[in-house]
Amino acid sequence: MPTDSAPTAHAGTADAWRPAKRGVRRCMRLRGAAFALAVTGTCAAAPIASIPPAASAKDDGSWTLAARDYASTRYSPLAEITAANVGTLHVESTFSLGSLRGEEAAPLVANGTMYVVTPFPNIVYALDLTRPGTPLKWKYEPKPDASAQGVACCDTVNRGGSLANGRLYFNTLDGDTIALDAEDGHEIWRTHLGDIRKGESLTMAPLAVNDKVLVGNSGGEFGVRGWLVALDAGDGHIVWKAFHTGPDADVLIGADFKPFYAFDRGKDLGVSSWPPDAWKIGGGSAWGWISFDPGSNLVYYGTSNPSPWNAEVRAGDNKWTAGLFARDADTGAARWFYQFSPHDLYDYDAVNESILLDLPVGGATRKVLVRAERNGYFYVIDRASGEVLSADAYGSVNSSQGVDLSTGRLRYAADKKPATGRIVREICPASPGGKDWNPSAFSPRTGLVYVPHLNLCMDWQTVPANYIAGTPYGGAIARMYAGPGGKRGELLAWDPVARKPVWKIEEDLPIWSAALATGGDLVFYGTMDGWFKAVDAHTGEVRWQFPTGSGIVGQPVSYRGPDGRQYVAVLSGVGGWAGAIVVGHLDARDTSAANGMVGATTDLPTKTEAGGMLYVFALPCT
Amino acid sequence: MCSHCRARDARRACVAAFCATIALAACQREQRDLDPHVEPLAGQATPLSGLNPGEDRPAPIRSSNGAGFEKNAYAISEGQRLFAWFNCSGCHGNGGGGIGPALMDDVWRYGGSIEQIHASIAQGRPNGMPTFRDKIPDAEIWQLAAYVRALSGNVPKAAAPSRGETISVTPPLTRVPEQPPKPADSVSPER
Amino acid sequence: MRPAPWIAVVALPLAGCAGVQSALDPAGDEAATIGDIWHLMLGVCGFMFALTMLFLAWAIVRGRRAREADAEARHEPALSLALHGWIALVVAGLAVLAIASFLVDRRLLAPATDVLRVRVTGMQWWWRVEYPSDDPGRTLVTANELHLPVDRTSEIELRTEDVIHSLWIPNLAGKLDLVPGRVNTLRVTPRRIGGFRGQCAEFCGLDHAWMALDVRVESADAFEAWRQRHLAPAKPPLSAGEREGAQLFVQKPCVMCHAIRGSDAAASTGPDLTHFASRATLGAGARPLTREALAMWLADPNRIKPGVHMPAVPMTAAERDRLVDYLMSLE
Repeated sequence: MPTDSAPTAHAGTADAWRPAKRGVRRCMRLRGAAFALAVTGTCAAAPIASIPPAASAKDDGSWTLAARDYASTRYSPLAEITAANVGTLHVESTFSLGSLRGEEAAPLVANGTMYVVTPFPNIVYALDLTRPGTPLKWKYEPKPDASAQGVACCDTVNRGGSLANGRLYFNTLDGDTIALDAEDGHEIWRTHLGDIRKGESLTMAPLAVNDKVLVGNSGGEFGVRGWLVALDAGDGHIVWKAFHTGPDADVLIGADFKPFYAFDRGKDLGVSSWPPDAWKIGGGSAWGWISFDPGSNLVYYGTSNPSPWNAEVRAGDNKWTAGLFARDADTGAARWFYQFSPHDLYDYDAVNESILLDLPVGGATRKVLVRAERNGYFYVIDRASGEVLSADAYGSVNSSQGVDLSTGRLRYAADKKPATGRIVREICPASPGGKDWNPSAFSPRTGLVYVPHLNLCMDWQTVPANYIAGTPYGGAIARMYAGPGGKRGELLAWDPVARKPVWKIEEDLPIWSAALATGGDLVFYGTMDGWFKAVDAHTGEVRWQFPTGSGIVGQPVSYRGPDGRQYVAVLSGVGGWAGAIVVGHLDARDTSAANGMVGATTDLPTKTEAGGMLYVFALPCT
Repeated sequence: MCSHCRARDARRACVAAFCATIALAACQREQRDLDPHVEPLAGQATPLSGLNPGEDRPAPIRSSNGAGFEKNAYAISEGQRLFAWFNCSGCHGNGGGGIGPALMDDVWRYGGSIEQIHASIAQGRPNGMPTFRDKIPDAEIWQLAAYVRALSGNVPKAAAPSRGETISVTPPLTRVPEQPPKPADSVSPER
Repeated sequence: MRPAPWIAVVALPLAGCAGVQSALDPAGDEAATIGDIWHLMLGVCGFMFALTMLFLAWAIVRGRRAREADAEARHEPALSLALHGWIALVVAGLAVLAIASFLVDRRLLAPATDVLRVRVTGMQWWWRVEYPSDDPGRTLVTANELHLPVDRTSEIELRTEDVIHSLWIPNLAGKLDLVPGRVNTLRVTPRRIGGFRGQCAEFCGLDHAWMALDVRVESADAFEAWRQRHLAPAKPPLSAGEREGAQLFVQKPCVMCHAIRGSDAAASTGPDLTHFASRATLGAGARPLTREALAMWLADPNRIKPGVHMPAVPMTAAERDRLVDYLMSLE
């Protein structure tokens, strides 16, 4: 029986919701176990990993960071939608974003409002969740420089914002970070950080940490010098800036810096592991994901590939590219660094998500972070010291032969080493890696990490690279195609304790969307031809799928609406690097187009067209 | 004269005529201009719009001798060299596109005649094409524009560069079908 | 007859005996070895040639005498002896040459210790010269000039990015091709301090003949000093003219192809100009490097080296002067 009374707060939930308006049809709220909080202890007999409490998010049904919490789990404890009832999940509302580029963002939700950042021109929509049909509350247009589209390597995407302190923080493609008032959308501050004339752009979702906003640049394909900046959340001034190449002082490496492995130790390695001056145009941008451990006050994030792709012109390990930094969140001082791919040969950026976990290892619980890395290995790393506890291949890998755990170095395969004038064939994984930027999710109920990843290999020829500021600094011709088995994408459930896969779902097309795990033991993800799927978190069985209008390359989220129900929202709109052939109308006859991606996606234009739509799903009211 | 002498003389005459014909055919060789000086385009910039108020045809494109480069094999091969040197391939791939649009099809945002391509390279374009006017001498921009025309098969087959030395990722330029820009006298719809 | 032309006719062939580009004036071990076998071949083949001419002359002279029927019978044993002797001589000569050649090849390819690694990349139509180092921060890139320390073996890795070239420094080491997609290694052990001229020895296009390599052999100390100077970034522009020239360098097409370390220019399709003014020649040996030659070159490189890839960049005379000021300051 519908009621129009205000919702009562459940024990343990925040009270940030506005009361629903009178007259709004309410669904009967399910009580009890369906709203179970995140619990450990499932049917599994073996100990499983858990989310570090300090890095987890409040269970108030909101989704204020792209990964929901600082541990980057992308796990929503909401359990109203289960494997049993997800078959009835339906579209509650849609919203057209007025955009035809890759929609890689995560919709953010707080206080009955949803915030979506679009690809260039980076319009921000605030949608009112308290009214049916999620109508527009306000809209903000930053009007970035259109020329920025010429320095965005991989579609003009934007991975969303961060909500904190009553503000929305997000980036524009042409290099600005903007703080908007979350209530009415007026601009509070706008800081210019990136120079498009050097090939810099901003595509990442900034992370609000303590009283700062962390922002990293893009441009590893343009010979930029990578950096991470902390802006003051109040007024946007730069508090600290850490470069990722160059002298120790620029990299904020000081007395506290204690890398675990010898090959990451030394003075001014950001200069001496490069030919003279090559570090100034050496890449190492920070366009991916940042995790934060409030317990140790450390932020963890990775750096991109070194510039250029042609490795012959940058002899040396090329510090501090293709590696993972742990830095003090307040000062930026580097605590440790680990380089996944020293002297990277294949564009294996190290910007993927680091999921912070407390992992049972050999009888004790260790504070670790886990990553499905571009180079094809699933790493478990001690997040206090940077020691690699394990690195296991989670897909086809022949470009290297494992990680030497005693030295920490990746063992490159000699027969797959590129050289000028030589064509090297069947390098696996291809440049986007075993998995690119699209992040995994972790469920504390199953203890599994759900990895949406790729199965692509490539042929590669190194050619001369020429640096001209503002133009691509490349030096390689690549052509990608499906890896062994012929299926280009895979959703993998990986057990980080047992260090092996548990189940997998193969997809014909590459998977470029993020994964979402929920308390109802479901995993949500999207395919590049538009199917939004819910699968059983324990077994991988597909329980529900819905054909959205365009390929999904974004980050699904789940939240509790003002009416108390659980919603799942995702952006549909193909694009990103994997969708370049569609959004760019590229020619399939050139298999090296889009840095080789066209070779692996020649059939994509027959399966989807560009789009830009928000979909919000929920169970029907009964 | 004996009969076999007559036959022999006749054969010699045929051979001589044949050789002369072959030799004369070699007279028409392509002129290779190592240091081309191109007349600047007279008057206003190259038109990009199909609308020409008061008239029933688009504004005419004024050309310069650079337009002849698209029939000249040396100019096209120089353009091929410059296309890689100046990182055009970094955005446009080997014609298939990437950050920038594909150049090997018949869709042209800003016009597909060699004059319009020259203008796009020299002036830059608002959605990400840099301005190369001060950075590439005019003759070399014409050479690049000629190569770009070759990517869509719009140059004589004898002038198109044949096989390259790099990994084969596109059909050879001598085998690309001729794809005249659509529409012929204006720009394609925005996509 | 006037003596002057005859002197020229005799002296001309002897001009190859000495100079900065002479294979007959070896200044290094490898060239000396090759010079040795060259002289051996000259000796053996010269001797055989002389013998052959002698027999020919004898045959011509003898052939005018009577042809008695029994002359053949009288000379048969002598003829047989001569034939066998001649065959033995030829076999011996060829054997000597074959063994000598084999030993020379082994000597040229013998591994050496404490080698200096150099990398020479042939481009159309200039040489990129690099000195790799185990310490990547000490790798050096320059163009058209090869400095080598005396009395130390240098291993030169030969590569190319476009067509087949060949490096020949006649005074120091023999020809070895630079083949795309391949790395060849040339060993050079210079024994005499001085300057020598290398040359591309495999037809590589329009300016094949204009592709010289200036080779300087120096003492170990002088070489290290040169290397240190060249590892440093370019001298910052001091005078107003130089500063303007530096600005023009990045505003004009120069920045599309050339690098000057210490400035924003970092392109590598053309020669590295960081220490341009320290070189002796311009355009890979096309002209000696002087202000006037540089100004002519900037005005239109094709007038000096027709077919060169560097275009004539449009600029006023004043801009050209400023650029010359700046480039000549890059010691």
